[in-house]
Amino acid sequence: MILDLHTHSVRSDDGRAKVDNYCQWIRKKELPLDGFVLTEHRQYDDTSDYRDLEDQYGLLILKASEVETDYGHVLVFGVNDDLVHAFDFARVDNPIGEVLDAARRCGAVAAPCHPGRVNVGLFAHYEAKGPVEGVDLVEIYNGGSRPGEDEFSEARAAEFGYKGFGGSDSHIVSRIGYCATEFEDPIGSMDDLMAALRGGRFEARTWRT
Amino acid sequence: MANVDLQAVRDEWVGKVYDTTEFPIDAQHLVDWAVACGETESRFTEPDDADFQAHPGYVSHFTAGRWTPKGFPELGNGRGVDGGKAVEIFGPIRPGDVLTASTEIADVYDKTGRSGTMIFVVNRMTFRNQHGDKVATVDWRQIRATDG
Amino acid sequence: MRFSEVELGDDLPEETQDITMERVQLFVKTVGMNFPRFTDHEFARKEGLPGAIVPGIMSQGLLAAMIHRWAPGSHVRKIDTVFRAPIVVGTSVKMTGAVTDLDDDAHTVEIDITVVSENGATNVLGTAVVELEP
Repeated sequence: MILDLHTHSVRSDDGRAKVDNYCQWIRKKELPLDGFVLTEHRQYDDTSDYRDLEDQYGLLILKASEVETDYGHVLVFGVNDDLVHAFDFARVDNPIGEVLDAARRCGAVAAPCHPGRVNVGLFAHYEAKGPVEGVDLVEIYNGGSRPGEDEFSEARAAEFGYKGFGGSDSHIVSRIGYCATEFEDPIGSMDDLMAALRGGRFEARTWRT
Repeated sequence: MANVDLQAVRDEWVGKVYDTTEFPIDAQHLVDWAVACGETESRFTEPDDADFQAHPGYVSHFTAGRWTPKGFPELGNGRGVDGGKAVEIFGPIRPGDVLTASTEIADVYDKTGRSGTMIFVVNRMTFRNQHGDKVATVDWRQIRATDG
Repeated sequence: MRFSEVELGDDLPEETQDITMERVQLFVKTVGMNFPRFTDHEFARKEGLPGAIVPGIMSQGLLAAMIHRWAPGSHVRKIDTVFRAPIVVGTSVKMTGAVTDLDDDAHTVEIDITVVSENGATNVLGTAVVELEP
């Protein structure tokens, strides 16, 4: 089962994609995706309900967040009420240790995204400040990466023993599915996704040319 | 930047019109803009065309009398760049029109990117012609760099 | 190009544009933006930029012209661009468009638009809503 784990909709300040347009694009272009995760910037969207779209298009649509820390951006899967009260999702300089710890305590999964990117990538901060505890997986394939960034992410992830996943980081419809993650097990819910991520039963995929 | 309460800035400034400026529309300027954008259609490049009008993004170059309201806090370290523009066109803009633009702060927020920590100030300009018809809006995202 | 001829997923013809200093100088003179960050590479680098940069609104204008070449006579109702990375004056860029939605009642199409530099960086991305003849 293939899911794009990193997408943005118009809910994100720089997102320009409507979720129903993502769905129709995936089907029209026959992309090898079974669904996607909306990871809106600095917020958790707890109001939108995409179950009708899931039924209409036969896609899994999950909701998560992309938060900002002092070690770059982090995707958070399994956001719940406890977690939104554990730290400020709108803040741009959350201590990463607090985010990782809060995710663990609240039953969520936090994973740095585009770790090879300047300023907002984990490994850029490792160069200056050294590694942090509590990181198990990182996004090694990101659809918005510049040449060389994914290779750098993949190499550093291997060096630190982090499992790598993929996501498009799409902000417009036509970029969904540039990168994604292939799971061994069927995923039907956020709980399934988190279990698969924790279990390491996946591989990162990229279709970028 | 860490000391600026952006929510307080939003609460105080968002939605208040702080500038009103008039912009007369000149045919040659419309042509010059369109040509500089690589446009070739005569309705944008030939004043004699029956449908001669402003190119879609033309109004995005107009600036209010002030970039921010009087008394608006200094945000960032003084360096700024254009983060993007959203233009909506409701009707054609013709030579000889006189547009009146009212400007307000639409949003203020911060985020981090490749360039570091940035503060975004979103201005909204609403353009009406001499008949009072709304012809366009422009949302302009100014990025204020910080040292972080 | 008429609305009836467009399908979801259609790509606009990709265009490569050479954004020369001469073109930028013409543009900034036209709009009264004679700031050296747009026309002086050395000055721009001192400001922390990679070189003289193309004004964002010029890139938006280039994209609108590309849409008109794809669909002569069409009306751009909205154009919304995020300027993600500076375009350095004197470089070539690739401009693309892809149809992502159609409104049968309004005869409008929504188009993803991008500008990508020679180094693979996405400089500009956004959307446009364009009204076509039925």
